[in-house]
Amino acid sequence: MLKVIDSAVPVACWSCSVAHNDATLFCPHCSKIQPPPGSDFFSVFGLAPRLNLDLPELEHEFHRLSRKLHPDRFARAGENEKQWSLADTALLNDAYRTLKDPIHRTEYLLKLHGAEIGEEHSGKDRKDPSRVPADLLEEVFELNMQLEEMRMERATGEPDPELQASLEQAKRKFDGLLDEVDQDLRAQWQAWDEGDIAVRQAAQKTMVALLDRRRYLSNLVRDVTETLGV
Amino acid sequence: MAYSDKVVDHYNNPRNVGTLDKSSAEVGTGLVGAPECGDVMRLQIRVNPETQVIEEAKFKTFGCGSAIASSSLATEWIKGRTVEDALEIKNTDIVKELSLPPVKIHCSVLAEDAIRAAIGDWKKKNGVAETATAEAKA
Ligand code: FES
Ligand SMILES: [Zn+2]
Repeated sequence: MLKVIDSAVPVACWSCSVAHNDATLFCPHCSKIQPPPGSDFFSVFGLAPRLNLDLPELEHEFHRLSRKLHPDRFARAGENEKQWSLADTALLNDAYRTLKDPIHRTEYLLKLHGAEIGEEHSGKDRKDPSRVPADLLEEVFELNMQLEEMRMERATGEPDPELQASLEQAKRKFDGLLDEVDQDLRAQWQAWDEGDIAVRQAAQKTMVALLDRRRYLSNLVRDVTETLGV
Repeated sequence: MAYSDKVVDHYNNPRNVGTLDKSSAEVGTGLVGAPECGDVMRLQIRVNPETQVIEEAKFKTFGCGSAIASSSLATEWIKGRTVEDALEIKNTDIVKELSLPPVKIHCSVLAEDAIRAAIGDWKKKNGVAETATAEAKA
């Protein structure tokens, strides 16, 4: 389960006993490796939890920490330290993959702040009509029907060129819609990063709705691409 | 993830896949989506205007195996029931029957939503007053 941000509590280093923030992979005092922290992904990199993230800094920290966790460095270390280096590496990779991708980063940070997103959706606010892009459902469904027809025609012979053309056109349209959603999301990032509580809550609500919309669109673009092979 | 035997059965032999005439006054259509994953489901019913019994139910689902199984099962369950009776079906009944794991609960919710949407559409077409539950949703 995700932990609430700012939960980084001080813990004592297993080696030198000096207290440090539990987000760190290495003791700032004696530099020894620490067990995998239970903190959020941002603090693993020493970054503030923001949507407009300093990506070069993230990448730089990732490479620096990866080097420090390299198995060669633990060849002669104790069994615990070896285990931790593996677990820390897994965590680091996970954190990096999540944070460098703008959509994953947004979903992750909003989840940390209690938003119901993706498979973890418990259904509490699923009846909120603003979450269901009704205008989209009809189109998504129709296009899925066309895709199915296309696959059937493919399997039995030559597909109808008109159908092919209409699907290609739909793909362009949905690519465009996906771009729009991504731009709208980015526009909310700053509001979320810099706003007060009220602004933040409004931005969060908007982003959750955009992410819902995005899921339908990206499924569709994926399926059309697969079927058309373009 | 391993699907239960019942899910596999519905997935391999889905009951009542198809389309009913949307423009018919006797037909109610529910088109719903799962924001969790972006899957979509359409469920249609044909209701006898005299008895209010659902005589025919069809579905078409673009989604995961659990969603297909849930909608297939839903059409089987609502056929032969009155619309009011069909509204009694809860997603938890589907979860139980199909032994769906927690991450697949939303697939059964989708099926329940589809039943409600189809019945809601039929009621609207026929000027039948919405029940309290259907109203709360709208
Ligand atoms: S995974 Fe979303 S409907 Fe099944
Ligand atoms: Zn130390």
